[in-house]
Amino acid sequence: MWWQKLKQLRPRDAAAAIASLRRYIAERVPKDKLTRTVWATTFILSLVLLLLPWLVKLDGHAHADWEQFLGRFHPLIVHLPIGLLILVPLLELAGDFEPSLREAAGFVLWLALLSCVAAVAFGYLLAYGSGDAGAGVTRHLWGGILLTIAVMLCLLARPYWTHATSSNATRAYPWMLVMALLTLTWTAHQGGALTHGKNYLTQYMPQPMKRWVTVGFFSKPPAVNSFYTKHINPILDNNCVSCHGEAEVKGGLRLDSYEELMQGGEHGAAVMAGKPEQSLLVQRITLPPDHKQFMPAEGKPPLNAEQIAWIKAWIAAGASSTATTVPGVAIHESQDRPLVPVPDYSALMPELQQMQAAQGAKLVQVSKNASDGLVLNTVDAPASFGDAQLAQFEKFAPYIVEVELARTAVTNASFATLAKFTHLRAIHLEGTGVTGDGLAKLTALTQLDYVNLSGTQVTKAAVAPLSSMKNLDHLYLYNTPAEPAVAVVPDPTPAPTTEKTTP
Amino acid sequence: MGLPVPAELKREWAALQTRRHFLGRSGKVLGLAAMASLLGTEALRGDASGASTYAAEGPLKMPYFAPKAKRAIYLFMSGGPPQIDLWDYKPGLAKLYNQDIPDSVRGAQQLTGMTAGQAHFPIAPSHWAFKQYGETGTWVSDLLPNTGRMADDLTIIKSTNTDAINHEPAIMLMNTGNMNAGKPCLGAWLSYGLGSMNDNLPTFMVLQTKLNDKENNQPVSSRLWSSGFLSSEYAGVGLRSSGDLVLYLSDPDGVDRNVRRKMLDAVNAINHETYAELGDPETNSRISQYEMAFRMQTSVPELADLSKEPQSTWDLYGPDAKEPGTFAYNCLMARRMAERNVRFVQVYKRGWDVHGNVTGTLPLLCRETDRACYALVTDLKQRGLLDDTLVIWGGEFGRTVYSQGGLTPENYGRDHHPRCFTTWMAGGGMRAGTTYGETDEYSYNVVKDPVTVRDFNATILHAMGIDHNKLTYKSQGLDQKLTGPVPASVVTGLLA
Repeated sequence: MWWQKLKQLRPRDAAAAIASLRRYIAERVPKDKLTRTVWATTFILSLVLLLLPWLVKLDGHAHADWEQFLGRFHPLIVHLPIGLLILVPLLELAGDFEPSLREAAGFVLWLALLSCVAAVAFGYLLAYGSGDAGAGVTRHLWGGILLTIAVMLCLLARPYWTHATSSNATRAYPWMLVMALLTLTWTAHQGGALTHGKNYLTQYMPQPMKRWVTVGFFSKPPAVNSFYTKHINPILDNNCVSCHGEAEVKGGLRLDSYEELMQGGEHGAAVMAGKPEQSLLVQRITLPPDHKQFMPAEGKPPLNAEQIAWIKAWIAAGASSTATTVPGVAIHESQDRPLVPVPDYSALMPELQQMQAAQGAKLVQVSKNASDGLVLNTVDAPASFGDAQLAQFEKFAPYIVEVELARTAVTNASFATLAKFTHLRAIHLEGTGVTGDGLAKLTALTQLDYVNLSGTQVTKAAVAPLSSMKNLDHLYLYNTPAEPAVAVVPDPTPAPTTEKTTP
Repeated sequence: MGLPVPAELKREWAALQTRRHFLGRSGKVLGLAAMASLLGTEALRGDASGASTYAAEGPLKMPYFAPKAKRAIYLFMSGGPPQIDLWDYKPGLAKLYNQDIPDSVRGAQQLTGMTAGQAHFPIAPSHWAFKQYGETGTWVSDLLPNTGRMADDLTIIKSTNTDAINHEPAIMLMNTGNMNAGKPCLGAWLSYGLGSMNDNLPTFMVLQTKLNDKENNQPVSSRLWSSGFLSSEYAGVGLRSSGDLVLYLSDPDGVDRNVRRKMLDAVNAINHETYAELGDPETNSRISQYEMAFRMQTSVPELADLSKEPQSTWDLYGPDAKEPGTFAYNCLMARRMAERNVRFVQVYKRGWDVHGNVTGTLPLLCRETDRACYALVTDLKQRGLLDDTLVIWGGEFGRTVYSQGGLTPENYGRDHHPRCFTTWMAGGGMRAGTTYGETDEYSYNVVKDPVTVRDFNATILHAMGIDHNKLTYKSQGLDQKLTGPVPASVVTGLLA
């Protein structure tokens, strides 16, 4: 049976078969005619490939479903030429030691060409079928075409290198191969940027390396303090630009810069200055979410009411790129100071846990982000937590951002300890025995924003030094000699006007 | 030892053990072993004070990001307060008195069985005048003179809207994000997601207000503070509105605390065996709840001891606050719980279901609540607690602009209205002195910035440091969350 014969085949037999096929062709076709045919075929195929982007234009519209279905195999097929082309130079080099491997290189190069053609075809189906267009898509497409042509040229040049005699030029092939590999790298990177995003590679790059790589490459235009740059551009950037940006230009519309936004897309102007209701941009984002033309499409989260209101108001006010305010929109800017991250304390975790068990107080993380710091929580056993216990936590001082010492046994002596907690933002001392002697020591804490001394015996004189702290916005002295509890007597609520029930 | 479970039942249970049970349990055992090695065995054996500590299951037990509010107090106005008489000022309605509301406003809305049969839907303007308060000039009804005084501290949402028109589904939706029973409520999600800040008190406590029999009291049930498919240790712990706050909390005569401790240790040992045998996680909940009750024997009397409150407290909250079970008392207790780091307190006030006799009942309701709400927010503020405590006020829906039953110049009734109602928040992370959203001239439909129940809850979770899309629990094949499967968004317009 034939499959039993197949089992006996060795690699060498395959090489022999190819060699005999070549001999067969060489015997029947005159050599110069064969060369001419090969060159002509290469030329025609290259021409077709080069003209492809003009023959079948990527118009940014989605086309037949079957095209998209087949097109989605592109990401699978595209890895074949990558693997095969990397194999070629390895085989050629290994051929110096094992000649049969160099024989195989020619075969692999053929496979690479076929897979390149398939990848280009399926890639074209994907882009054309799903209506992808844009600079990123175009770059990737041209990369694929040039790569295929480069591989063909490699195939043409290779025989002159393997059968080199002193008379004919022979060095072309290695250079062609290097060019093909460089084209491959560039094209593959463009494709990766399309699927994963432009920052995929650099996102987690170590900072020094990033600076070195990105200088000059990704510099952005200087930020202007206008309403557009501060409020409109970020909304578009977060919600729209993944489909209407540099990499993909659905519907011929780009929203990544002011100029592009005002230029509009193939359905006309996206923004009509002064006329929000007639602007396509506003119309699309305010349709019912299940409408076919609703934007953002593909189940991405809709813009919220506030964002829509800002866009409308901005267009109504003339859609200016420079105006800093827009009538009817008062944007609340958070007054919060950014949190200063605490140093890394992960190495101290075991000690930290021991401390908690011993002192009857807990150190809890402010949030999942360890750098938000720790809160010292004593509420489980306040009565037994005093100055000595607090002093035990000095070791963790730089990591603690808030101390809850309400109703504990701490006294004025603790102010000196607390002054060493450099990252402290909030101190709770309500209901403790402190009288305020030594409070001035807290002025060393530059980030302190909240001090609660309610229900203690602090006096006006004792808290006076704190008034120099410019970050201390929240100082509570309720029910102290400094600020005695005043009786607040609320207004009477009106009485029922009728006892009658409705008829 | 072990429980006296019939051998037959045990066999049946064993047969029900699925691969998932097995894997789930072995995972937990491995986790416990790993934790024991990390913490030292002390933590698992119990600490020096005698109370055992148990590893609660759950995801993060801390906020996802630095929160603005560490704790929240939710004043739940069960029954549906009439937004038109309290917050949503519509002066234009006065000249439309007794005219039928236009069909175009009502649209194809389905009404309740109580007014669907009415031939007319006569507009009933509010009986009460409104005044402007504070620097923000917020319009508030004369029924709420005290709440009005703190208008500059409030974030008022006029565009809250719900999908349900009847009490039970609407109140379930508001509390659990779903009209059907069986889902965890907001408080349960918070204690599941954030964990406790005080080992001696429950993370989530519920205070019910004594009934006033002149009001139309719709029932509230423990379903509203249930933990649903989460472990029952995350359910709200209700305090009673009369008598002992917690029944049977004090030791019986002749039993001292050491005897109680010994008894609990013995019961725990039996429960551990039962868990080892049957593997039901509810057994662990039971153990931790016994331990919590043991600690509450000292922490609750301390919590409820009002003898050290200064006179200014009574001046502020009023004489009602001395009587357990009143709304004022509950507000004072809520402040004391906030001081003791109870994560979430929900105060229920029933009676807002004013289908008839609005002018007779509404003043009673406002008298009970207006001063106490003002007192709570003011008290938290002066004590420095409002910065990181979120106060929420609201019911399950609003009430109609048209009168249910007869309309006279002196009196009217109002039916349920889901399309708009007013709620307010104050404190932790909220933008004080803001009114958000608008309704049409009839206070019927939202015309600007609608806030769904989902968005409302997502915003509360956000203030507490939780990403509502991330706090999930797998049940019935879904990654369940408080805000449900329909997309919800945090209302940034409410945030400071």
